[in-house]
Amino acid sequence: MNLRTLVKYWRTILIVAEMNIRQQLMDGFIVFTVLFQPIIIALLGLFMLKDKGADAAMFVVVGSGLTGLWSSLLFISGGSINFERWTGTLEPLVAVPTPFEVIVFGKNLGNVVQSLVSMVVGYFIAALAFGYKLEIQQPLLFAVSILLAIIAFISFGLVIAPVFVMNPNVRAWQNAMEFPVYILCGFLFPVLLLPAWTNPVSWLLPPYWAAVALHGTSTEGASLNQILFAWGMLLLFSVMDLFIASRLFKLMLYKARADATLGME
Amino acid sequence: MQSTTMNAIEVSHLRRTFSSQIGVIKRTAKEVVAVDDVSFRIEEGELFGLLGPNGAGKTTTVKMLTTLLIPTGGSASVKGFDVVAWADEVRKRIGFIFGGERGLYWRLSGIDNLRYFASLYGIDPDVTKKRIPFLLDMVGLNGRGDEKVQGYSRGMKQRLHVARTLLHEPDVLFLDEPTLGLDPVGAREFRQVILNLQSEKKTILLTTHYMFEADALCDRIAIINHGSIIAIDTPGGLKTHVRDLNVVEVETFGIPDGIVEKLRALPFADSLSVEDQGQKQMLLIQTSRGAEAVPDVMSALEGLKVGRVIVREPTLEDAYVRLVGGKA
Repeated sequence: MNLRTLVKYWRTILIVAEMNIRQQLMDGFIVFTVLFQPIIIALLGLFMLKDKGADAAMFVVVGSGLTGLWSSLLFISGGSINFERWTGTLEPLVAVPTPFEVIVFGKNLGNVVQSLVSMVVGYFIAALAFGYKLEIQQPLLFAVSILLAIIAFISFGLVIAPVFVMNPNVRAWQNAMEFPVYILCGFLFPVLLLPAWTNPVSWLLPPYWAAVALHGTSTEGASLNQILFAWGMLLLFSVMDLFIASRLFKLMLYKARADATLGME
Repeated sequence: MQSTTMNAIEVSHLRRTFSSQIGVIKRTAKEVVAVDDVSFRIEEGELFGLLGPNGAGKTTTVKMLTTLLIPTGGSASVKGFDVVAWADEVRKRIGFIFGGERGLYWRLSGIDNLRYFASLYGIDPDVTKKRIPFLLDMVGLNGRGDEKVQGYSRGMKQRLHVARTLLHEPDVLFLDEPTLGLDPVGAREFRQVILNLQSEKKTILLTTHYMFEADALCDRIAIINHGSIIAIDTPGGLKTHVRDLNVVEVETFGIPDGIVEKLRALPFADSLSVEDQGQKQMLLIQTSRGAEAVPDVMSALEGLKVGRVIVREPTLEDAYVRLVGGKA
């Protein structure tokens, strides 16, 4: 999948995202995963760092939002293809002219955008319930960081979904992959606090670079060079993931058609 | 590549096998042949039925023709495009419905389901706005489109499937047991929808278990059993297979072990099937002796509680039973 494909199908992607959000707002598990769990994490963090100032509160707000993004990616985007199979909609979706990876891109867009709501709610909780005067240090750079983070999360989700479909054994580790990534990617506290040997693992994870960019632009935690480097890594991972995803989707769909696993009879 | 044929669907020596694993510790692979050397052609605008018992290979055949399954052998084309090599071209020209309630987004309204699929088919939003009310009206869901699908009856869901399938105005339709589970009124309404589609010159491949449905709707019927086509003809032509026979229908109330075997062993019983109808059973005996067979049948049933006994002309179902072996 490339930029031209995304531009060609932009209208379809938006409708898929809209329909995805509208369906998921009625699913208790999803609402908890992308909204309530990050808010609970935000509340815990805000209580724990009660006297550490507005910068720490902003770190918690952004970090808890990132936990929502990751959980959404892992559970909802990761399980999106299997969800379609269970509901019997996978076969009609595969049979439409729109490339299947474009459809999953739209679904991931909906997942990522809806999970950002938790960041906004966390912001208001910190401001209204805890009385912090929160200020995003570099609003323009933060906005660019959000955009790049969204693209990186969507692209990473496009790799995860076919991997989970083709390897049920990997899917069994889904639950075990939630909290370690919160820690390894520095969502809730800086990775500098972790042993140095874990750092290369963090560097290989796109959410880590999203955290560097978002924390760095919302607080006074990073220089412009660090932010630019994080943006570069987000773009690099996005391009790589989209390339890998398009191959994986071709392989997955061929395998599903050969093995008769598109439907569930 | 597209051929110059006038046939909407061409199937040539199509074969599909599935492999499965048996055993837990010592695992051995087992190959099951679902479709074996199936060939047929469907003309443009024809309503073609594919009949067969459960597991005969109907759905597997349809899934290969709708590009959802890759054949193990042979070839098939729809509108001249090979279903494997030109899957994308085939998909633009076909619509399909698999029986049952799945395949829709229950948490969305009927209109949103259609809007969603219209966007996936790349239909212009302005066209979609006009087409959705037209289709809802056509399938009898006018005024119900705003309701969530989870509140629809089974029949309404089936009709929404039809509307979804027709969004991109496909030339060829695959309807796999579309009336499965519908109540009699819903099934009758659905059959009318199928007839309307036929009048629009759509090419339709219909699979069904219901013989009267196939008899009433189809121009030609192929009977498939154990993965192979055993007969292809018009409904009238298939009935000639049992032209020499009559059917003795005997209503019984509880059949002890051994009776069916005893009846099958009667020299004049060409084939026999039993329909379980709750507390009673209907024995259907095909015989060339007609009414003359009744005394012998009754003597074989001696001691049993017997209700109505009828001797009638054979139907398509009787032809089907004879062709698939009368082991129902």
